Amino acid sequence: MKILIADDSRVMRQIVVRTLRQAGFGDHTLIEAADGQEAYDMATKDQPDLVISDWNMPQMTGIEVLRQLRAAGNNVKFGFVTSECTPEMKSAAEAAGSAFFIVKPFTAERFDEVFAPILG
Amino acid sequence: MSVEVEVDENDLAEMVEQVWESYLDPEGVSPLMQTYDENQPSEVHSSVSITGSWNGHVVYASSRAAAQRAAAAFLAMELDEVSEEDISDTLGELANIVGGNVKAMLPPGAQLSLPQVVLAPEASARFPNTERISGVYGLWEGEPVSISMWQSSTDTKEEGA
Repeated sequence: MKILIADDSRVMRQIVVRTLRQAGFGDHTLIEAADGQEAYDMATKDQPDLVISDWNMPQMTGIEVLRQLRAAGNNVKFGFVTSECTPEMKSAAEAAGSAFFIVKPFTAERFDEVFAPILG
Repeated sequence: MSVEVEVDENDLAEMVEQVWESYLDPEGVSPLMQTYDENQPSEVHSSVSITGSWNGHVVYASSRAAAQRAAAAFLAMELDEVSEEDISDTLGELANIVGGNVKAMLPPGAQLSLPQVVLAPEASARFPNTERISGVYGLWEGEPVSISMWQSSTDTKEEGA
């Protein structure tokens, strides 16, 4: 499977990549986007099977990326990894079609719990 | 009238523990040992601002050695491989993670800024019309690290009114 990791923080993208490996998902193809616009463009062009996105990013926020993808008929599995977690953010994510919501800081166990059903 | 916000030292300490457990000390061998010393020195710091239902700043400060160690842990690198940019990115992310977790404890309607990083002591920063309302101060492998919350006085005035 191809997984797109979108986060404006380079260190956080690396931590997500490392945690995916630690959780046993290192054999998937991992691609990275450094802001919301890039995430939208890559989700459209590179056709990943899964998008793991930050919320607060320049150009477009993660929720805007998700909403625009859905508006364009793109149903890629999409979810959030974010340090910000409020009930209203969670419900906005769900309403937009988000498949998961992971709060930073996260552990490999949390990744396993969320991604095992998705990635098998 | 603004709501009085109670994000106390225990809440901050819990967030710190999660950050250490997840990224800085996954083996559980070098936790942050609290010193309760508000005046411990720092050499670098980062901050995020929160506006809306609560107004203020969350500040992460440490020695340069502690920042370098944090970057090495974040990036799974050796200490001597860590660049200036790695240190900046790591400090920014630490402020973002703690700030995001603080925001989650605030009443709805708070906005979190992108992080700011300054490779200079926390004492060099000025947050006008704010007061420190809580903080965790400690040593990580002998190096000073602190996480503090600064509340804008507009909020405190309203609370007292």
